[in-house]
Amino acid sequence: MARISFSQFRFVIVSVVLSSFLAGCTSSASNRYWGRTVAPSDNVLRYISGSEPESLDPAFGTGQPEARVYMALYEGLLEYHPKTMEPIPAIAESYEISSDGTEYIFHLRKNAKFSNGDPITAKDFVYTFRRALSPELASRNANLGYYIKYSEAYNSGNMFVQDQNGQFLLKKDFAKETETKASDTPEENSDGKAESAPANFGAPTELQKFLNSPERLTIKASEKERAKDFEADPKLKAAVEGKQLVPVTKENLGVEAVDDYTLRLKLYQPAPYFIQLIPHQLFRVVHQPTIEKFGKDWMRAGNIVTSGAFKLSVHKPYDVLTVVKDPNYWDAANVKLDAIEFYPLEESTTMMNLYKSGRADAVYNHTVPPAWLDEIKQFKDEYMDFPEVANEYYSLSVKKPPMDNLKVRQALSLAINREALAQFRKTPKPLSNFTPDGIFPKYDEVRKKVFGDKLKAQNISVEDWSKQRLFDAEKARKLMTEAGFPVIKAGNGWSCPTFPVDKVTLNYNTQESNKAVAEFNQAQWKQNLGITVQLKNMEWKTFLPFRSSVQYKGIARNAWVGDYMDPFTFLNLFYSPQNDGATGFWDPKYDALLDAANKELDPNKRLEMLAAAEYEILDQQLIIPLLTNATNWMKKPYVKGMYPNPGTLHAWKFVYLEPDQNRWDANAENIMKDGDPLIDEQINRLKATQKPLNTVAE
Amino acid sequence: MLNFIIRRLLIIIPMALLVITLTWILIRMAPGSFYTAEKKLPPAIEANIKKKYGLDKPILSQYGILMSNIVRGDFGDSLKYEGQSVNEIIARHFPYSATIGILAYILALILGLAAGIVAALKQNSSFDYGSMSLAMLGLSVPNFVIGPILVLIFSLWLYIFPPARVGGAISYVLPVITLGAIYAAYIARLTRAGMLEVMRADYIRTARAKGLSEWKVLLKHALRGGLIPVVSFTGPALAALLAGTVVVERVFAIPGLGNIFIQSVLNRDEPLILGIVAFLSILIMVFNLIVDISYAFLDPRIRYE
Repeated sequence: MARISFSQFRFVIVSVVLSSFLAGCTSSASNRYWGRTVAPSDNVLRYISGSEPESLDPAFGTGQPEARVYMALYEGLLEYHPKTMEPIPAIAESYEISSDGTEYIFHLRKNAKFSNGDPITAKDFVYTFRRALSPELASRNANLGYYIKYSEAYNSGNMFVQDQNGQFLLKKDFAKETETKASDTPEENSDGKAESAPANFGAPTELQKFLNSPERLTIKASEKERAKDFEADPKLKAAVEGKQLVPVTKENLGVEAVDDYTLRLKLYQPAPYFIQLIPHQLFRVVHQPTIEKFGKDWMRAGNIVTSGAFKLSVHKPYDVLTVVKDPNYWDAANVKLDAIEFYPLEESTTMMNLYKSGRADAVYNHTVPPAWLDEIKQFKDEYMDFPEVANEYYSLSVKKPPMDNLKVRQALSLAINREALAQFRKTPKPLSNFTPDGIFPKYDEVRKKVFGDKLKAQNISVEDWSKQRLFDAEKARKLMTEAGFPVIKAGNGWSCPTFPVDKVTLNYNTQESNKAVAEFNQAQWKQNLGITVQLKNMEWKTFLPFRSSVQYKGIARNAWVGDYMDPFTFLNLFYSPQNDGATGFWDPKYDALLDAANKELDPNKRLEMLAAAEYEILDQQLIIPLLTNATNWMKKPYVKGMYPNPGTLHAWKFVYLEPDQNRWDANAENIMKDGDPLIDEQINRLKATQKPLNTVAE
Repeated sequence: MLNFIIRRLLIIIPMALLVITLTWILIRMAPGSFYTAEKKLPPAIEANIKKKYGLDKPILSQYGILMSNIVRGDFGDSLKYEGQSVNEIIARHFPYSATIGILAYILALILGLAAGIVAALKQNSSFDYGSMSLAMLGLSVPNFVIGPILVLIFSLWLYIFPPARVGGAISYVLPVITLGAIYAAYIARLTRAGMLEVMRADYIRTARAKGLSEWKVLLKHALRGGLIPVVSFTGPALAALLAGTVVVERVFAIPGLGNIFIQSVLNRDEPLILGIVAFLSILIMVFNLIVDISYAFLDPRIRYE
């Protein structure tokens, strides 16, 4: 999930002046809580939610601030577990996955209702999925659904090709890729055989037969783009000529209501993390009659019909968005808050003031200004510092000198003392890998083993290797010298006179913390290599195309917040020729490794392949890893059931306000370990309907 | 006079269209677009977006459609905020800025004029030195410092006023003081300087020689002339105050136009940027016209023929 806007505009001066000012004159340390902390008099949570939501349409908004609002207003088949973010039953009581991993069956509960009382059925989900993937809606998230069969073709407005006998051309007959694959594009099963009809979910329907038949060829609808494809593939041109073109329609999608309460999804290939995406906002159910009746005005208060635990009450843009408990919600008995007020604010000083004066109960992630952390961290009952599914790194322009030299890249990476950097930044942890550490425990284990095997040849243990990669100035100087830029002793420090400093700039988007990190690293390179790297900052939307087209010289700041709880969300960043790694690197072998991993049904083997792919990124030093991010937010101790999960996405129906001071959260460090009988019982009850999956190979 | 006003009003329209065109060119030259995000969009999705918003048409025809809509007063829908029209957004957020702006303006006028006149009449008195030092301080300390200091004292220590967000009259106190302080300081200094200059003018000596009371001299003759510099300052200042001020709106989380304007630029929300630019430029031109007209009333030597 991209960090859309909470970081763009900072009044640097404001923050600096304020932080120095306020830090100096705050409450004494003897106070247990920060600022005014009194048990709430009403049952309303006041939450500072980041930038103003761009839309109340869950298929449309892409950022985390939007996601948090959608989680109150809309529900999907599954919901994020409040602590771990694993999917737990929501509108679907349970789900099954076919033995080949390509078919998903969701069993919907029969008492789910929209906020106007209409029942929620499988047909509503079919509508929701088709709408989300339609080219007319033009959702920027649509590619999250591209694993669903024919969804990419439908979303791209592609055409099937039918010959005179009514037969369709098949994709397997045109084995060469007919188009450049976009990231997230699934690859087809290439065995060529008719894909086996999986599972025994009743007699196959017409749609199911169609979906299980060999994949049809699709070509672009626009003449111009089609001509480009034909030029690249004359065989395709010959085969298509004179044949009839049939548009791919929403009815062709691999989404089917088997009956009112059974929904079936058909994927191109097994995608082990697909189930993690089901709670995503794109797949949260919307109300067809309302959308069709009001058109673009359907989201207005008064018109809007929602499906979540809360419904919209007031929406004053840039001021407040109030949602109230929906009595029609199927699980309303277990919704504890009467209402939530979302305050769309972005100025961190302002939100800290509101929080401190007791006018807000919780703030969103990455809100405590760095200069305040020393003080805020003392308030252990309120401050949330936990690992986050997010990393921070520098992309390197690996196709241009001097960064085309592996040793230069390695030297620059080794010359940064990451332990010191992490201490300087206060909450994040040092990172020497690409995917963040400590977020995917199973993957961490597998990765250690895979890396260990790879390193045997170099006669070094994983532990030593990882430790060295955190900081090794001696080796950095050696590598830089070997690369042809000798580092020589100069007084107390070092100097590297031949290094082309005019060809290397450290570019970052304008933000106080980015600047601080850039200056820190600049000093590290100066101190350990004798190289002075120029810094250059840019406004966010100017920076993005500059970075993604690799126009920058040398080094560009990069970071990623995972879309789902699987290492693939990070490794995918280097997939496809136009990848988001922004380094100029592309390797078909890397893509093949990821493709193979996602087709692998054995979870352990799959993780091994992913780890092998990650090793490639590190071995070639495409990036300089810096930090695993940490959550950085606050909540009042009386706010319970709200956890610092890796995505800071809160399932609001678990959240409650505790008036009894004896039961307030004490020491947030234990908040994830300590049980809360009320919440645990609620989650267990929800999970009880989901049988353990035994269809996928253990 | 009437001719002058009509002429000036007629110029506003082509000027506004010129400003809109220049702004549009600048937006199109700026890197990035409203859908630019950390992760690149697959080409198919980008094509869908371009088609949906008419960005796949030739650039001149896009400009033509845009201008023909704008001439009819229709700025279209925001690109960032799905389903909200630009006119609606401006109408919704302008009142917040205007309320705070007008209150700050009134505060600044009362404080500034009073302090300036008294300081001028009692030149070199302790009041003169005291109030002008305070005004100097008000001028030198920017509002992004005054605001947080007020918040610290009144919201976080004394818990009297809310530190941010609008809601009830009480929530306007701190932002209005923060915003008004610097204008009060300006007006005080301008008034004092203007008054001092006029008080030495020949016509004031004449007025005094005629035996008029000091009050009459002051109110009827001196004030009118002495206020001209103040008027040339406060006219555009009022327009600027009404248009919303980014810093105060952000520090106090007021959903005003200034805040929205900055966000629209950061979001590359073209229709919204154009709408706000058009609105603000017309607002400023109208206020400049009002200032020019008021000169004629204040200074009998100024005539528009």
